[in-house]
Amino acid sequence: MALNLASLIKKFNPEPEKAGKILLMLNAAGMVFAAASNTVAAAKDKNTSAEDKKFLVPAGAVTGIANIGLYYLFTDKVIKGLENGAENYIKNMNKEKLSDKALEYANNSIKKASKSLFKKSDEYISSMKATLIDNGGKATQKAKEIFAHDLKGGAGVLGAFIGAVVGCSVLTPIIRDVSAYFVQKKMEKNNPELQTKQYRPYFDPIHIRKNAKHKYQPLSMKSYMAFTNKGMKV
Amino acid sequence: MFFFTLFVINVLDKSEFMKINSIQQQTQNRNQNFKGSFVNSATNFIAKHPMAIAGLAGFSVVAQKVVMSGSEATIGAAMDMAVGNTIAKAANEKDGRTKESSKVQAVRTAAQSIGGTATGVVVRMGCILAASALLGAAGAKAGEKGASKIASIVNPEKYNSKKDAYLFDREIKRWGKSVGGAAAICVMMVTNFLLDVPFVNFLNKKMSDKLLKNKINQNVKEAK
Repeated sequence: MALNLASLIKKFNPEPEKAGKILLMLNAAGMVFAAASNTVAAAKDKNTSAEDKKFLVPAGAVTGIANIGLYYLFTDKVIKGLENGAENYIKNMNKEKLSDKALEYANNSIKKASKSLFKKSDEYISSMKATLIDNGGKATQKAKEIFAHDLKGGAGVLGAFIGAVVGCSVLTPIIRDVSAYFVQKKMEKNNPELQTKQYRPYFDPIHIRKNAKHKYQPLSMKSYMAFTNKGMKV
Repeated sequence: MFFFTLFVINVLDKSEFMKINSIQQQTQNRNQNFKGSFVNSATNFIAKHPMAIAGLAGFSVVAQKVVMSGSEATIGAAMDMAVGNTIAKAANEKDGRTKESSKVQAVRTAAQSIGGTATGVVVRMGCILAASALLGAAGAKAGEKGASKIASIVNPEKYNSKKDAYLFDREIKRWGKSVGGAAAICVMMVTNFLLDVPFVNFLNKKMSDKLLKNKINQNVKEAK
C-alpha cells in the first residue's frame, strides 16, 4: 500500500521550473471532471425525454471537449512562450547581473519571511540567509539557481493565469453560447413545431419558481445551457 | 508528343509542388515569426519585472482559482451578454429570445463563479495544507533508518528539517501544492454535489430575483 502510494505521489513530481504546467494540468483535470459530471447529470435528467437526450447530451459533451481542448492548447502555448522568454532573459544576462538579481531576490525573500503575516522562525530565517547569501554578502550559487528556477516557474504561473482568465472568461462563453444557438436551431429544424409550440419549462429556473402551473415554454438557449451545465464546477 | 506532354506535366507538377512548398514555407515562417515576436515580447516584459514574476512561482491552484473566478464573474458575464447580443443581431431575431437567454446565462455565470469560489478555495487550501503537513512529516525522516519510500521521493537531497529549514520547506511546499492540488480535485467531486450545486442554485435564485425582476414579472403576466 505504502509502495503504491509512493509511486502515485512520484507521478506528481513538481519540477521547480514547471510550476505553470502543473497549474494547467490540474485546472484541465478539474474541467474534465466537471464536464463529465455535467454530462452524467444531464443524461440522468428525469425531466427530458430520451429522444431529446440523444441529441442534447452528445452536444453538451462535444461543447465541453471543445472548451477544454481550446483552453489547454491556448494556455500551453502562452506558458511555453513565457517560459522561453524567461530562459532567454537568463541566458542573455552576464554573470555579474545574474548575481545582482539573485541577491536582490534573496533579500526580498528574506524580508518577506521576516515581516509578513506568516512570519517565519529565527531558525528558518538564519537557514535562509546561510543558503542564499555567502560570507562576503554576495549571492551563493544556490541563490542563483533558485532565482533562475523561480523566474521560469513564475513566468509559467503567469501564463497559466492568463490562460485561465482568457479560457474561462472569453473562450468558454463564446463556445457555450454559440453552440447553444446552433443546438437550438437544429432542434427547431428537426421539430418545426417547437418554434410555435410550447416546450419543457424545467430548465428555466424563473418559470419553475414563479409559475409552476405554466408547464411549457419555447425551447431557448438558456434551456440548453442549463441542461448541459448543472452547476458542477471543479 | 508523348514526351512533350510528359515534360509539360512534369513542369506543371514541379511548379505546383513548388507553389505548395513555398506556401507551406511562408506559413511556417509566419508561425515562427509570430512565435519569435511573442517570445521577444515575453523576454522584454520579464526583463522589466523580474522580481514580481519570480515571486509568482510560489502561487498555487488557490490563487489560480481566485483569479479565474474573479474574471469569470465580471468578464465572463459581460461576454455572455455580448455574445447573446451579437447572435441576436446576426440572426436578425425579432422575438429577442437569445438576448433574453444571454441575460439569464450571465447571471448564472456570475452566481456559479461566486458560489464555486468559496468552496473551491477552502477545499484546495485545506488539501494543500494537509498534503504539505503529511509529506513534511514523512520527508523529515529521509536518510533515517526505517524511513518510508515517500521520504526519499519528497526529500531526495535529505535536507534536515531544522538545519536546512528553508530548502526543506521549499521542497515540501512544492510537493504539497502538486499532490494537494490533485487531491483537491477528487475531494471537489464530492463537495460539488453536496455544497456547490445547492449553494449556486440558491445564489442564482437570489441574483435573478434582484437583477431580472422585470423579466420575471413579464413572464408571469404572459403565462396568465
